[in-house]
Amino acid sequence: MHADRTNRTMMVLFGLLLIAVGLDAGAASIGAYGTHTQHSLLMANPTGHFIGSNGAWLWPVAAVAALIIALLALRWLLALLFSTDRSGDLVIRSSSGAGRTTLANGALTDAVVGEIEGYRGVNSARARLIGDAEDPELVVTAGLEESADFTALRQRIETEALTHARQALGNMALPTQLDLTISTKKASRVT
Amino acid sequence: MRLINRVLAALLSLALIAVSLLLIIEVIVDRASHRTAIVNWHTAYHWAQRNSWAAGSIRVTSGILVLIGLLLLIAELKRPRVSRFAADPAGAGADGIDTAYTRRGLGAAIRSAVTAVDGVRSAAVKVKRRKVKIAAIASAQDRAAARSLRDPIAEAARERLTALKLRRSPSVLVRVAPRSR
Repeated sequence: MHADRTNRTMMVLFGLLLIAVGLDAGAASIGAYGTHTQHSLLMANPTGHFIGSNGAWLWPVAAVAALIIALLALRWLLALLFSTDRSGDLVIRSSSGAGRTTLANGALTDAVVGEIEGYRGVNSARARLIGDAEDPELVVTAGLEESADFTALRQRIETEALTHARQALGNMALPTQLDLTISTKKASRVT
Repeated sequence: MRLINRVLAALLSLALIAVSLLLIIEVIVDRASHRTAIVNWHTAYHWAQRNSWAAGSIRVTSGILVLIGLLLLIAELKRPRVSRFAADPAGAGADGIDTAYTRRGLGAAIRSAVTAVDGVRSAAVKVKRRKVKIAAIASAQDRAAARSLRDPIAEAARERLTALKLRRSPSVLVRVAPRSR
């Protein structure tokens, strides 16, 4: 995940801010706000006067605001560096409600990968569970050999490997994404 | 774009942290001892007291800011390149599975079909949202022979697209050039 949505929003806001500041200063510079403003000194404006006359309380307030901004930026940076969209271990609920079974995330994805890679015509497979552990989504990528029967392989993966994964989780409606890629690479399978 | 965004976001967050800390330190040191700590902001303050909005440096800086802002905005709001081509759900083996071919995979599949056509030496395939552009090089040096390959190449590409059973097949555009030497 790496906070991709936040990154995009922040970049759009930053872009808009740069445009706004640039246009405002540019407009003052070419005289769009009148010749008086154009030829007045940079600090000789209502904002400059306000800052000058209220510095006693304004700068401490600015420092507190800066502290909040720094903490938010630090949180953003940590999310960028360490966040992941992978689910944790999955809790399988029994129909009786008694007992508790936990399925390791890697156990399921390894089984799916192993099964798909065993199909003739598949040269590689990757799988991961993303989202909330209570409501995960299975994302599988399978690399098909260029000589394979793509439609037959797609159906086999869907009806066998992915259906087995759903059965293992006891959730036949498990949201599943299958990405198929085709390459000239041959599977290193012993036949 | 996602990767570039992550790098830009890391730089922006670091810059925000640095500037904020700098401001906090300067305010504390100024309150405590009436002097600057790291940045001599008095120089900037005096410069702003001497210069007007009409200064050339203000215009240049404004122009640069607008330019960077526009580039950033265009890059962020541009429609991203399609990365997945959905497979036809009619051919699905199970319900509720979102199956698609990757753009790179689709390109490789079409390229292998095209290069299997007799007389084609090599091919480059560009896959776009609605169009597949094939630039093939014929084995022949003769222009007419190269041109005669256009239909078989297009046919091979369409056959491959049909075999993939996509929800919506992109159209095929073929350009064939004779071998140069």
